[in-house]
Amino acid sequence: MGEFKVHRVRFFDYMPTAIRAMAFNSRTERLALARADGALEIFNFADNYFQEKVIPGQDGRAVEALCWVGQRLFSAGLNGEITEYDLENLRPRYTVEAYGGPIWTISSNSQGTLLAVSRRERNFNDIQCFDFVFCDLLGRIISLSWHPSGTLIAAGMMDMIRIFDAETGRATHRLLVERGVGASKSKEVVVWSIVFLSDHTIVSGDSAGKVQIWDGVTGTLVRTQLVTKWDVLALSVSNDESSLVAGTSEGTVVQFQFISSTVGQQDKEWVRTRTFKNHSHDVRALAHTETAVVSGGMDTQLVVRPLLDKVEKNTQESALRKMTLPHRSLVCCAKKAGLLLFQFPDHLELWRLGESDGHGKPGDSLPVKRKPEKLIQLKRKGEDHICCSALSPCGGWLAYSTVTSFRLYRLQNNNISITKVSKLPKDLRSAHQLCFSPDSSKLFASSSHSSVIVVALNQPECKYLHTLKPKSGSRQPVHLLFASEDGKWLATANTDCEIHVYNLDKLKLHCTVPVYSSCPTAIAIHPTTSNLVAVHADQQIFEFSLVQKEYTEWSRKLQKQGLHSLWLERDTPITHVAFNPQNPAHIILHDTFMFCIIDQSLPLPEAKTPFYNQMTLRSLPEPQRIIHSHAFKICKNFQHLMCVSLLEDHSLVVVERPLLNIMSQLPAPVRQKKFAT
Amino acid sequence: MAKKQRGKSASSSKTADIKQQTDHFSLMLESSDDEAPEEVTFEDSKAEALRSMKQALDTARREKEQLKEKRRKRQELFQEQKKRKLLPADVLEEIDSAPSQTQKQCQEDAEEEEQEAEEDEQRKKKRKRSGKLAHARNLKGNYTVQTAKERESASFQQQAAEDFLQSRMYGPGSCRTTSNELLSLQNKTGRNKSAAVQFVKKDWACNEKAKAEKLKKRWVHKQQIPSC
Repeated sequence: MGEFKVHRVRFFDYMPTAIRAMAFNSRTERLALARADGALEIFNFADNYFQEKVIPGQDGRAVEALCWVGQRLFSAGLNGEITEYDLENLRPRYTVEAYGGPIWTISSNSQGTLLAVSRRERNFNDIQCFDFVFCDLLGRIISLSWHPSGTLIAAGMMDMIRIFDAETGRATHRLLVERGVGASKSKEVVVWSIVFLSDHTIVSGDSAGKVQIWDGVTGTLVRTQLVTKWDVLALSVSNDESSLVAGTSEGTVVQFQFISSTVGQQDKEWVRTRTFKNHSHDVRALAHTETAVVSGGMDTQLVVRPLLDKVEKNTQESALRKMTLPHRSLVCCAKKAGLLLFQFPDHLELWRLGESDGHGKPGDSLPVKRKPEKLIQLKRKGEDHICCSALSPCGGWLAYSTVTSFRLYRLQNNNISITKVSKLPKDLRSAHQLCFSPDSSKLFASSSHSSVIVVALNQPECKYLHTLKPKSGSRQPVHLLFASEDGKWLATANTDCEIHVYNLDKLKLHCTVPVYSSCPTAIAIHPTTSNLVAVHADQQIFEFSLVQKEYTEWSRKLQKQGLHSLWLERDTPITHVAFNPQNPAHIILHDTFMFCIIDQSLPLPEAKTPFYNQMTLRSLPEPQRIIHSHAFKICKNFQHLMCVSLLEDHSLVVVERPLLNIMSQLPAPVRQKKFAT
Repeated sequence: MAKKQRGKSASSSKTADIKQQTDHFSLMLESSDDEAPEEVTFEDSKAEALRSMKQALDTARREKEQLKEKRRKRQELFQEQKKRKLLPADVLEEIDSAPSQTQKQCQEDAEEEEQEAEEDEQRKKKRKRSGKLAHARNLKGNYTVQTAKERESASFQQQAAEDFLQSRMYGPGSCRTTSNELLSLQNKTGRNKSAAVQFVKKDWACNEKAKAEKLKKRWVHKQQIPSC
């Protein structure tokens, strides 16, 4: 069916950053995640856990805490600033100085009117609400929690917990936390996290590994549970306050539930129930949703563990989800020139692919005649991290954008020399997504409110041409752009699940694809048939004819029969769609764990037929293969794919990032002594 | 007869005084050597001793006061000279009267200056400065004053906070191991047992591998020497 020479690329040293804080908004079902480099990510839990938005980080922004107040997102960091984020333009909206010192934690009261922030200022330490400041001498407040009524605040400090009255600012109770045993008796115990429940119960997790339950009215200790030998770093309680989870330094998440210890009895207490070990490193951030426990930490993976007493067992809903790699492409491939552009937060790398002229059977490794070489390493200017980047197919133009600036470069002399294009149009200030036209004559940049700016690239400079705007007036950013091979069409997709197609000859809107409830994760336009292929976060595939402005026959057939269940159960989204010039019926897709070639000329798989049948087909003789083969041909030889693309010389480029390489560069985990090691 | 008393301590002056008195008495009485010394009552001698002590203290105090006076005079002279060096008072007022919101430290300095200026001047009304340039102040003439480095103290505190976190999580007493060990243990205890990661991955532990190569070469060389 197809034999390809594969460029197996493993020199993209992509390193994700640790997760520091998270906050779940139960009304919109969105999870906001803050990473150690200041980047923020928004996951849509209702849409197959798709990573909808990414706000790039900034040097010096060290986010310690995140907080949703209604639809607004706030973060506070060690640089003493509280920042509100603009989620439509994917940038910080404004920053407020909290005067004097690093902020450790932020939390809002349930009415959404006051924001309490704890900070340390020289000798004294205080909580600052947007109306007032409380003072506490010689302490250091590390964690905070509001009582749901908004009248009391519990603050976790070194060796003790203090309860403050939110109206007068005076401390009402002081609860002393015991230090650890043995060698840790000399070290102060830090109360890393604290939760204030509505029945005036306070739950605290500290660095001695204990989870303690206190009575906030009398100021006494109710219960102590030693959960781990190391620190308990994070706590999170569910909305109905019946379940609590604690995250530890050894990567375990322990659940406590408020139940009666014997069935039928009335008196309830907090009992330790489950332990989850889904991380290899410290768990720094936790969120407890209605049905699941979300945890993240130093091993950079986001893990969603649905609780089996809230969801049905053995269904798609109850599966463990791990998000390791980003849900967008960080690799740009120049098809004609054989170049790869890798996007890092602080620099860009341009590589030329190696060459090999050997021949072999499928499965062989061919000898490399010329090794891949790094041509250019381009460091960004300024403090903001790189948001998006693009390389033209001929390899002559390179562009990248941060939240505040946009830069365009011209590559010459067989891509060795690089010159900056200094005169840029005024409208082109920053972009969420960039795309070059296939003939490298135009650059498309997505800017505010779903609009796209078209810029013409003439030899030494670039000229502004037009701004394309959709009719729907959506305020969400465009996260996908695709320009067709013949230069006639431009397809855009935004996070409001809208896909718009523009006619580039007339520079106006051609049509809008009917809105589907799930967000599109990859779009592409076929070079010859001009059919738009869109893949969504819930793994549905649609094909839309641009000429006739309706879904194609094949797409209707696919929808009628439905996709195979194994296809729908995959938990990573498709991030790239490509076509094979040699065979117009082929569509090449990939997600993190597999790449697939869909052959539209073959019959679609039935629900009962084995889906991954490549191995069996290879063992069958030629005539029998035709009976058993179906349209979806899946290859799982390459794992943790970041990009799969087809070059002009019909060889496949596969950019892999093995998980072992990421794990080997993570910071130190705790030492666990196991028997016989 | 009267002995000169120069820098004598109180006791010696006391005895000298007593001696003086007895001499005095002996002068008046023209006593012969046979007679016994004059009786001096206890009260008299006590009074005498106290007087002499007070005198000594007085002289000491007077000396101290003289020194103080000298020092004060010198200090005033310096102040005078300093005042002449400073900017004219109305310029100082301009600086004092516009505290900016983000410069807390500058505000403290300005307060100090203000207090100094107010020692001699009367209080003038404070002008509010709301400008586009929050960090620059326009003084007389066409130059501006700007802070060169912002928030130096904040970055120091941020660094201190990060150091605190780093020391609690990764500092001494935190029982940490390396990722090499973690992954090697997983290799050895997993279902398909394999070697430690530095032997499995080609580009891991390059330094150790290079050292091991060198050692091997040296050993082989050593083995060959006695044989040939």
